[in-house]
Amino acid sequence: MLSEVTRTRNIGISAHIDSGKTTLTERILFYTNRIHRIHEVRGKDDAGATMDFMELERERGITIASAATHCEWEGNHINIIDTPGHVDFTIEVERSLRVLDGAVLVLCGVAGVQSQSMTVDRQMRRYRVPRLAFINKLDRSGANPQKVTDQLCEKLKHNAVLMQIPIGAEADFEGVIDLIEMKACYFDGPNGEELRVVDIPEPLIHEAEAAREHMLDVVSMFSDDLMEAILEDHVTDDLIHDAVRAGTLAQELTPVFLGSAYKNKGVQPLLDAVNAYLPSPVDVENTGIDLSNEEAPIALNSDPNKPLVALAFKLEDGRYGQLTYLRVYQGTLAKASSIVNSRTKKRHRVGRLGRMHADQMEEISEASAGDIVALFGIDCASGDSFTDESVQIAMTSMHVPAPVISLFVKPSDKQAEDNLSKALGRFVREDPTFHAGVDEESGQTLIAGMGELHLDVYIERMKREYGVVVETGAPQVAYRETISQRTEFNTTHKKQTGGSGQFGRVAGHLEPMSEGDFEFVSRIRGGAIPTEYLPSVEKGMQSVMGKGSLIGFPITGVRVVVDDGQSHSVDSSDMAFQAAGRKAFREAYRRSKPIALEPVMKLEVEGPNEFQGALLKTVMQRRGTIIGTAEEDGFCRVESEVPLSEMFGYATDLRSMTQGKAEFTMEFSRYVAVPAEIQRGLVSEFGAKLSVEEED
Amino acid sequence: MYRKFLNARSPLRLLEAGLHGGLGPGNLGVVVAGRGVGKTSFLVGVALDELLRSGTVLHVSMEETVAHVRAYYDTIFEDLASTTHLEDEARVHREIDRLRRIRVYPRQALTPDKLRDAIKMEREAGSVPALVVVEGLDLETLQAEELQDMKDLAEELAAEIWFSYSSLDERIEGVPATVQRFDPLVSVVVSLEPQGDVVALRALKDHDNPDLSALHVSLDPRTLLLVRA
Repeated sequence: MLSEVTRTRNIGISAHIDSGKTTLTERILFYTNRIHRIHEVRGKDDAGATMDFMELERERGITIASAATHCEWEGNHINIIDTPGHVDFTIEVERSLRVLDGAVLVLCGVAGVQSQSMTVDRQMRRYRVPRLAFINKLDRSGANPQKVTDQLCEKLKHNAVLMQIPIGAEADFEGVIDLIEMKACYFDGPNGEELRVVDIPEPLIHEAEAAREHMLDVVSMFSDDLMEAILEDHVTDDLIHDAVRAGTLAQELTPVFLGSAYKNKGVQPLLDAVNAYLPSPVDVENTGIDLSNEEAPIALNSDPNKPLVALAFKLEDGRYGQLTYLRVYQGTLAKASSIVNSRTKKRHRVGRLGRMHADQMEEISEASAGDIVALFGIDCASGDSFTDESVQIAMTSMHVPAPVISLFVKPSDKQAEDNLSKALGRFVREDPTFHAGVDEESGQTLIAGMGELHLDVYIERMKREYGVVVETGAPQVAYRETISQRTEFNTTHKKQTGGSGQFGRVAGHLEPMSEGDFEFVSRIRGGAIPTEYLPSVEKGMQSVMGKGSLIGFPITGVRVVVDDGQSHSVDSSDMAFQAAGRKAFREAYRRSKPIALEPVMKLEVEGPNEFQGALLKTVMQRRGTIIGTAEEDGFCRVESEVPLSEMFGYATDLRSMTQGKAEFTMEFSRYVAVPAEIQRGLVSEFGAKLSVEEED
Repeated sequence: MYRKFLNARSPLRLLEAGLHGGLGPGNLGVVVAGRGVGKTSFLVGVALDELLRSGTVLHVSMEETVAHVRAYYDTIFEDLASTTHLEDEARVHREIDRLRRIRVYPRQALTPDKLRDAIKMEREAGSVPALVVVEGLDLETLQAEELQDMKDLAEELAAEIWFSYSSLDERIEGVPATVQRFDPLVSVVVSLEPQGDVVALRALKDHDNPDLSALHVSLDPRTLLLVRA
């Protein structure tokens, strides 16, 4: 079975928006017989390229969602994970980079290495993804593969080497010369499907020999055997292949291939290279986290006989209903077996299992370590892990942070209202960090998530996928309140209005607690408060924590200790003690010097070194704390912590300060006390809001 | 314990006493030890002491990531806070985060020019370090003029700059030749040597003072904290 795993390649095709990534993918699927007709990207024939199936993508000519498609080449299984080419969707990009083992970096033969190529390349470097380069569009005027290869070396610091040279240039581009076999390849037939391998044309022999010599020079650094063979003049093709593979897997060499996907040239040799040089799942180390051991990292083994561990990396609602794309990291996933979601602990039965080819499907009966498959009808979120229950392993942390930002959305009409709830229902299912609900006070729909961009993506998807146009309110930061000192209370609730009255007294103290929202501790002795009423006190206290009296936000981090009280044999009741609890908490809270807390984000911003000053400035201007700066290969990455309330409009500011050459990632870090002057502002804002409400 | 008591009782006060006033602004110091003996812990200990007294620190390293260096500080700070029952730990932690800047140069040589640029960049971004910790500058290949440049920089900033030097041997007899050749430029050289359960600190050079008395400070290899010997 292990031999099956070694014949699998999970690859990404990553590129700048207009480098022809989708066309290349389309051609790959054509040559591997997954599709039988070639479409063009920008809808010359309405069908659109196969990988590009979301409406949004069709319109823009770019791919946002990462679909996985399966094909076979020379006996190998190749799963192509379509990574987003747009910089803003970094969560999607990073999630797809996680599931792939190798990648093809597509570069435009004319434009060369663009800022976007730098971004995706750095992301791949961060995830240690071995890659090949494919220089596309060699039929265009101004295309220059040597120049682009030099840029790979200079701008991206790759050790890039041409494995081919072109036959003819620009409009006369006819094919490529393979520098290992020293043969010329032409791509005949109406769609370039007939490969013709012949001797190198006479005028190019000299150039090819020089290029091969250079290639051998570079490649022999990765193999002593090859180096020796060169000295003794008995170089074999296999020795070269092994050395290129070794260098590529170590991410110290980038073999460069040439072609024009649009003109159907150079794609088949690229597929050969994917098979020969990119890693199989067993060549890559994968780690999960051990839930039975405080989320410690644990190595996974691409062995089909080990316990199952799989990651749901993408959900889709399509013509087959809800599809869940899974990568199997370990073990085997079989039809009719039962699997458990590590987050929800829910058990699911594996119904249909499929290999997806964009929007067509092939049913299979099992998938094993290294495979990428689609499951049907499983209710889960993307990022969830599945096991066969014999192990407690997940691929991502189980911790789901609370949302830090919210905004009101208002559908434009009645029709939109129905679709809106459908859309929200689906998004909430897909993404545990996205929340939606109705605000009790205003009756409006409120959505909440992990950042401005996070919510923007969903607003955009509402429009594209569900046709819902919404008006949005200003984004609201999810502040919190907490107490800053221990505060005693001794409160009596007493009401006597004829008939049976209400009576309850509670005494104790509130104290700050660094972890958790609320804790209720009873130190009642001798039945001062009857045991059955203690839950009433707790309930009463908790009921007022949803809205603090300082700035009107939820209260967190409070431990309540109740150590005394009093009850009445007739007048005490559940209701009376709930009321006493509410009153005690409210009164004590006011005296506890409450403070406001704000969400602070971990911000990483990265760009060319010459903008380092500007990058630091963007952080300083936003009440940020600079943790540190890493400088590498002409780029710098500034790591910092910045309050979320200061981050609105950051993307635009950053773009204008750095000519669009920098990008950032941001995630929630923790709640931190706001500075005194900001707290004063929040308090007076809340006061103004209250007085308006009173006037109403 | 409140921070001011913690500062007063810091073993670094003993170190300063042993060194007749410490390294001092405008001066260069070197810590010498075998690999893995605790140079980083010593330097982070010195830096934390500065941070807890509201001084600014720049930590320059050839580590892979900023997070790696920060983790050192966080671990040592948390140990310090828990062993001393520090009051208001979270607030103090945030304040030292604000006062400290980390710079890493992964997979490349750290040169004096880069160091100068780094300090310049930090100054422009509003942080003038009172203490600079430099790990990974290759003292073997460093020219005396380059170190003179560092000394000028230290004087200009009125900052202390600490460097680390890895010796091949865990036993350190005296100032290593590599450091000795910079003689007048380096004011203080201390060594770290494992002695039983602790790592002992010894002054090898203390300004122009011929009396290299005992420092009474050691490094606890378990907590990585500087402690009274």
